[in-house]
Amino acid sequence: MTTRFDALTRPKAGDDHQAPSKHRSIGFVLAFVGLMLAAVTLIANIAAANSDTETGTTAAWSFGLTVLGFGTIKLAIGLVLVGILVRLWFRVTAVKDACANLKPDAEAAAPRGTVQTEFGECTETAEAPGPLPIHRMARTMWFPMLAMGYMLVFVGFVLSLVWSGKVEDGTQQAAQAWTQGVQFLGEGMLLAGVSFLLGSILAALREGGGELQQSLGLAVRTLKMPKTAKLFVGFMVAGLMVSMVQFVLYIAAASITNPQSFAAWSAWLGPFREFGLGLLLAGIVLALVTIGNVLAFQFSRVREIITTGK
Amino acid sequence: MTTTTKFDYEVTDRGPGYNKPQTMGNRLWAPMFAMAIMAFPVALVLSWVRASTIADATGPADIEDAARLGHLVAAFGFIGFLAVFAAISFAIARILGRFRKGGGEIQESVGNEVHTLKMPVTAKIFMLFMMMGMMTIGVSVVLHFVAAGAVGTWELESVARWGEVLEGFRRFGVAMYLFGIAFGLGTITTVLRFQTIRVGQLAR
Repeated sequence: MTTRFDALTRPKAGDDHQAPSKHRSIGFVLAFVGLMLAAVTLIANIAAANSDTETGTTAAWSFGLTVLGFGTIKLAIGLVLVGILVRLWFRVTAVKDACANLKPDAEAAAPRGTVQTEFGECTETAEAPGPLPIHRMARTMWFPMLAMGYMLVFVGFVLSLVWSGKVEDGTQQAAQAWTQGVQFLGEGMLLAGVSFLLGSILAALREGGGELQQSLGLAVRTLKMPKTAKLFVGFMVAGLMVSMVQFVLYIAAASITNPQSFAAWSAWLGPFREFGLGLLLAGIVLALVTIGNVLAFQFSRVREIITTGK
Repeated sequence: MTTTTKFDYEVTDRGPGYNKPQTMGNRLWAPMFAMAIMAFPVALVLSWVRASTIADATGPADIEDAARLGHLVAAFGFIGFLAVFAAISFAIARILGRFRKGGGEIQESVGNEVHTLKMPVTAKIFMLFMMMGMMTIGVSVVLHFVAAGAVGTWELESVARWGEVLEGFRRFGVAMYLFGIAFGLGTITTVLRFQTIRVGQLAR
């Protein structure tokens, strides 16, 4: 299964590296659709606030539609990230060819084990290191997370229509709890899918960098997992767990019949589910920072190869 | 005709280094990240206080307290979202900066003229939507504090309606931020495409 999803992130035979990314174009269209869904709910909220009768009904379906809009943009972001992965492999091939031509002749130095660089501690090996377990997991999990996440967000939107229909007779509590629980579990999974794609980008940078150095017969220098990457994994796992716990708690809240108790539960479950998304988003920040650091290390290494041949 | 004529780029003798938004990205991602990880727990703690107030409510004073806390919870929660989305945007700008600086330095070390992609339209859309998202959420947060301060002087119904309208604006602000992030990441694919073509030229 890993291979099947991994194939989606690599160029196919005969793909033109000069052609613009299709993933990017489709991603931009999807992102625009998501933005428009959010715009519809903004207008609906303003209209409902000025109406004496519509407020509760509009709040229900507009909640579902907004989260569907957010989910659509997150799916678009996932698609753009797949486009980045495909481009990264084109780049590996191009840099390999260029370095083979530009590298001055020099006797390759023997691998030194561990090396300290300005970008952090590195390992020097004779062969390219294999992927880390977290990289294998990222390559397996990004697709199921994105697919299940978007499905849950859509199911939640349908539930929000049920919630909306029950507002007038005052029996909306269970539908409200199910909508919020299901949609935010979906949101959490979508962000986890995006995080796994960022993990796959880090894996591609590691694998591509190793392949390049090995193909030139050089000692393979690989950056050790930085602290930001370890924290990224920690934030992602914590965020996903909070998203699952909030889902279970919303199911529990769906059976509460006392309106005052239900209001009290809702008062903290909302911020709790947002806390979970905040953890996942904080992890994404750290993943992007790690990618920036790895890129700086790789540019420096390529420059070293071109100028010294070692 | 070179392959890079498909792009709008500038030619210099030396690597251009970071541009202003990228320098800003380098400096600001960390403070924004710190602000985010502080704001979310504050909102969560306030929400527990509010839940307890609602559960034990016996009179109008409790209802007013719950309304005030409702606006404060939303305000702190969305300070968190504002900050974390800003941190993501700055981290993307930082990555674009790494490509610009690193690509320039490699071309310089080969002894070739340095080709640097001019800021693509997608990068401008990224920055525009990031700023609009930030302003929309920022103004909503300020107005939540105003509404929280007005509980007791305004009618409770007005306070609740402010909450509904601000919720719509907050959500739209988040959507604008996410839309901008999609374009920021899309810019990375353009830069990768440009650099892949340029690396091929260097080798010839």
